[in-house]
Amino acid sequence: MLDNTTATNTNDDSGDPKIAMHETHQPELHVGHTSSFEVRAVAIAILGWILPGLGHALLKMWGRAVTVCLTVAFLVYLGAGMRGNLFAPGGEDAFARLGYAADLGTGSFYYLARALEVTGPDVSHADGDYGTRFLATAGVLNLLAALHAYEAARRRKA
Amino acid sequence: MTVLVPLRLSHFQCFLLFALIISLAFGTLGRRQPLERLKYATWSFAMFVVVGIALAWLMYPFSR
Repeated sequence: MLDNTTATNTNDDSGDPKIAMHETHQPELHVGHTSSFEVRAVAIAILGWILPGLGHALLKMWGRAVTVCLTVAFLVYLGAGMRGNLFAPGGEDAFARLGYAADLGTGSFYYLARALEVTGPDVSHADGDYGTRFLATAGVLNLLAALHAYEAARRRKA
Repeated sequence: MTVLVPLRLSHFQCFLLFALIISLAFGTLGRRQPLERLKYATWSFAMFVVVGIALAWLMYPFSR
């Protein structure tokens, strides 16, 4: 990113080549620094998605890391315990595909839910229907947390 | 053998549980200071419950 200060300095006509060279190279360093920050932030977001809470843990936000991990784990456990519908890939309609995308938001916990729910879904009762929502909410919440970790890694207000 | 405990909860119990868990997560993610987190979580929980019950009553005439 170029800022006003750098733009002014490149037009400096003081005649000192050291100063001119130093100030000309400043924007490249700035760009490289920003790019590495961006890569790090994306990596943190992806890791936070794969293992809920890991993104915040890498940023040493321990309270948020524990809360995200426990919340997503608890929602997945409750959803599976209520025998909610855990969507599989290759859904027939848009709702099933959207549900799968939401469920996949839990990252590795999706496979945990699949392992826990050995008897399959039962949405004939209110709790089964709620279980489906709990599982989807766990995914969406984890995606929100990963986005939050991404913003925090970019040193934005989070 | 599975570690999963089968849960049988009523509609209202599920609703309260959902509101509680999400409010706690919102409070922790949305605010920095402990007191602010508690206030925000309490406010979110209250809003979940009030809006949920209001929507339930609005939909009641169409349920049968």
